[in-house]
Amino acid sequence: MDSMILSKEKMKDFVAALGQQKLYAPQKEGETLRFSLLGEEDVPELDFSNTTVPPKDVVFPQTETLYQYELGGTDMKEPEGGEEGAVMGIRPCDARAMSIVDSLFSWDVDDPYYLERRSGNTFIGLACLEPCVNCFCTSLGGAPASTEGLDALMTDLEDKYLVKPLTEKGEKLFQKAADVLEKATEEDVASAEKLHEEAAAKVARNVDTQGIPEKLPELWEADLWKDVSNSCLGCGICTYLCPTCHCFDIQDEVEGFEGRRCRMWDSCMFGEYTLHASGHNPRPSRRERTRNRINHKYSYYVDKFGTIACVGCGRCIDFCPVNIDILNILTQVKEAL
Amino acid sequence: MVDLEKLRNAAKEIVSQDDVKYLIGWRDGTFGFRISPHFMESPEEADKLIFSPLCTNNLATYLTMAEKLPIPRGEEPDRRKVAVMVKGCDSRAVVQQLVEQGTNREEVYIIGCPCEGVVDIKKIEKKFPDVLESVEARWENGQIVLKLPGGEQSFPREEVLAQKCLTCRYPNPVLADTVLWDEVEVLGVEEYEDVKELEGMDSKERWAYWQDKISNCIRCYSCRNVCPMCYCEDCVLERLNPTWMFRSVNVAENTAYQLARAFHLAGRCIECGECERVCPVDIPLMKLNRKLYKEVQEDFQFEPGLDPESKPLQASYRPDDKEDFIL
Amino acid sequence: MKENGNPYKPYIATVEDTWYETYGDRSIKTLKVVFDDEKIRESWEHRPGQCAMIGLLGVGESMISISCSPTEGKFLRFSVMRMGAVTSALHELEPGDKMTVRGPYGNSFPVDEWKGKKIITIGGGIGQAPLRPIIEYVRANADNYQDLTVIYGARTSGDLCFKGEFEEMSADKIAECHLSVDIEEEGWPHFVGFVPSLLMEVNPSPENTIAITCGPPVMINFVLQNLKKLNFEDDQIYTTLENRMKCGFGKCGRCNVGNLYVCKDGPVFNYATLKAIPEAFA
Repeated sequence: MDSMILSKEKMKDFVAALGQQKLYAPQKEGETLRFSLLGEEDVPELDFSNTTVPPKDVVFPQTETLYQYELGGTDMKEPEGGEEGAVMGIRPCDARAMSIVDSLFSWDVDDPYYLERRSGNTFIGLACLEPCVNCFCTSLGGAPASTEGLDALMTDLEDKYLVKPLTEKGEKLFQKAADVLEKATEEDVASAEKLHEEAAAKVARNVDTQGIPEKLPELWEADLWKDVSNSCLGCGICTYLCPTCHCFDIQDEVEGFEGRRCRMWDSCMFGEYTLHASGHNPRPSRRERTRNRINHKYSYYVDKFGTIACVGCGRCIDFCPVNIDILNILTQVKEAL
Repeated sequence: MVDLEKLRNAAKEIVSQDDVKYLIGWRDGTFGFRISPHFMESPEEADKLIFSPLCTNNLATYLTMAEKLPIPRGEEPDRRKVAVMVKGCDSRAVVQQLVEQGTNREEVYIIGCPCEGVVDIKKIEKKFPDVLESVEARWENGQIVLKLPGGEQSFPREEVLAQKCLTCRYPNPVLADTVLWDEVEVLGVEEYEDVKELEGMDSKERWAYWQDKISNCIRCYSCRNVCPMCYCEDCVLERLNPTWMFRSVNVAENTAYQLARAFHLAGRCIECGECERVCPVDIPLMKLNRKLYKEVQEDFQFEPGLDPESKPLQASYRPDDKEDFIL
Repeated sequence: MKENGNPYKPYIATVEDTWYETYGDRSIKTLKVVFDDEKIRESWEHRPGQCAMIGLLGVGESMISISCSPTEGKFLRFSVMRMGAVTSALHELEPGDKMTVRGPYGNSFPVDEWKGKKIITIGGGIGQAPLRPIIEYVRANADNYQDLTVIYGARTSGDLCFKGEFEEMSADKIAECHLSVDIEEEGWPHFVGFVPSLLMEVNPSPENTIAITCGPPVMINFVLQNLKKLNFEDDQIYTTLENRMKCGFGKCGRCNVGNLYVCKDGPVFNYATLKAIPEAFA
């Protein structure tokens, strides 16, 4: 399928043409932008730098029920799955993150909850034309218009979007709305490409990751871990807002006679995360936790899955309350190598 | 007037004292308007210290944060002082910690920095979203001067200061071992306008308002962790046996969390506003805290974090205490 | 949902028998359990060293090592120390009660590689639980292995698990058993002192021998040092690690030591592998 044009005026018609499907898109909730299910009257909010919460929560919700049961019983009822939907307005960095995390959730044992949402949804990207101040996607093999992990890519051309289906799933979705789409001209395609190139050139921050995955564990006792963790508050911002962070907890929750076993995001920055029942904690302080977070992203994940588990979205830098800056840490790592 | 040379010289001297472990101050951050807490163990690191309208972080929170790791057999615990630079509000946190014996007076050295108010980082970054280079800032003639990439710009207080500073009545440290420069004039007046606005709503509206805000909470616990008064080693919200609140993130559990925190801070919150500053999803937490602050002030004529000799409000009793809230 | 099965969904099992191994605040209770579904009972296969996620609906799950060898029969045994919410609830179980089991998880002792060798296990406290299946396995396949030596200690004689079994094994000349307690106590006929010292006292030869150790982190550290003093090569030494776990199959993220996941790359590790990982003995 060739590239198409979606006029901004026709956004409502477009959403309607997609039919009964679940459609997730960025929505403003106060000052916070995050992906949520569009209501009938809602239109996607597509004029943004990036969402506060990454779209990972569409495929890996912060809290989800694995199964329900009645207290005293032995029947476990799993939620009904299989519903199809689409996610619109994903930045290419966040889409890449999903494809990185796919390897983990399908490693040896498939995670049915995650993978079902991954295959059931169509992922429509929105090329990033104005990278934020802390974006560094280009240092990690990404780009403001990268297509990895996406089924289609949209590019904002002022009064319209250029839509480029990338997979069969993407084509199928846009075919449903063929009536509200127009054919793209060669100029449209060319101007989108030009914008993509310009955006890549605007990415201001960078790090040369070469050598980091292999050498990082060698800096185990380096002073830098104490330095970077001194000011750490041990909160969950960097991990919860990270599009590749995927750790979770499983808890049983009971109300009356109704019980559910659910999983919820967890963070390696919390002390309780590794705390043994005996009271022993193999990572007793923020120093060990910070070191693990960086090593996991930049070394362990590379060992296991061949790719750095960071896409350079910059959220951990933007939102860290005490200015712990992963690029700054990586620069120190490079210097220490 | 802020005098950086004086600040750095004082820091050098203090950190060189045998009874001082390290000093916590502020330094330029890695980009734009951000600053970073600066932990210095030797005088050579003093040249990085700054004090400017961008120094929002309340460093008193670090006094209770250092992990108490097991001490190797035969070694004594390090009881040397931690020196900490404080603004007026931050000093109140230290005082309240002393009142609650969360911090030991013998183990802290307080460096007072009278403060004319700090910038609301969220506000300023909205105005100037793409500043990469580190911005310098200073107070000048009641205005805030920012050295932006395009040149210096002055802003009136009302335009850029954090809300807590506009109503601040304690810009000068209430307790300090040394104060670095002259005290500043108190400009803030507390009218509780935002609280009154909420009080003006009926309970349904108010509930809807908070449910809307609190539904965004992602329970990252940054508000708790940054809070200088939230230093319980064993926080109720992480207890699993028994479970006081579920880990599930939904509006009911989030509300339980935020209300539990607000109540635990009644008569203890010293209005540094850090919780609201760090919240990634913009929950106006200070409205909740200030509501309780106002209640405590009206009912018990008490303000926390002013007098190190005072008793913790929730642990003290007077025969004439109001009881009309007990049904 | 889940045509290929849902790895988070446990099987229901019935407690067949329970008994206390030790008493006190952190008592250890053994649960002998049998799957309700006959098909699962028949198809379930575990190997010595593996773990299972066991729990109770409404309370939660804990990763516990399977403390029996498959050679013992179509049942599972778990020796559980009373610690947190889940283990306390497991302690309340009586014969006939239902519980949940999923697994088995992790790798196992390379029993085939060890054929023809002498086996020494060095355990401390509850650390004997993951060692018990290998002892039982070697015992059941005695023709394939040379001598079996069991070194095991706990704080007091009341803290020793599986006591009767050691006496039986010694009496039947199945294994050479050396027991110890940390603190002197009346009527204790065996060694008094820590397990690493007992190891030096036993003074095993490293020749054609595999040493397996499990216990508290401090004990493991000293046992490793002492095995090196006894000239054991790194690849002759095995240990099993534990860490907090939630899923059991490499998703939840928390059990890593360095680049290894205890749930998938472990819990059994060769010392040569672990030595390279600074976090392994944290």
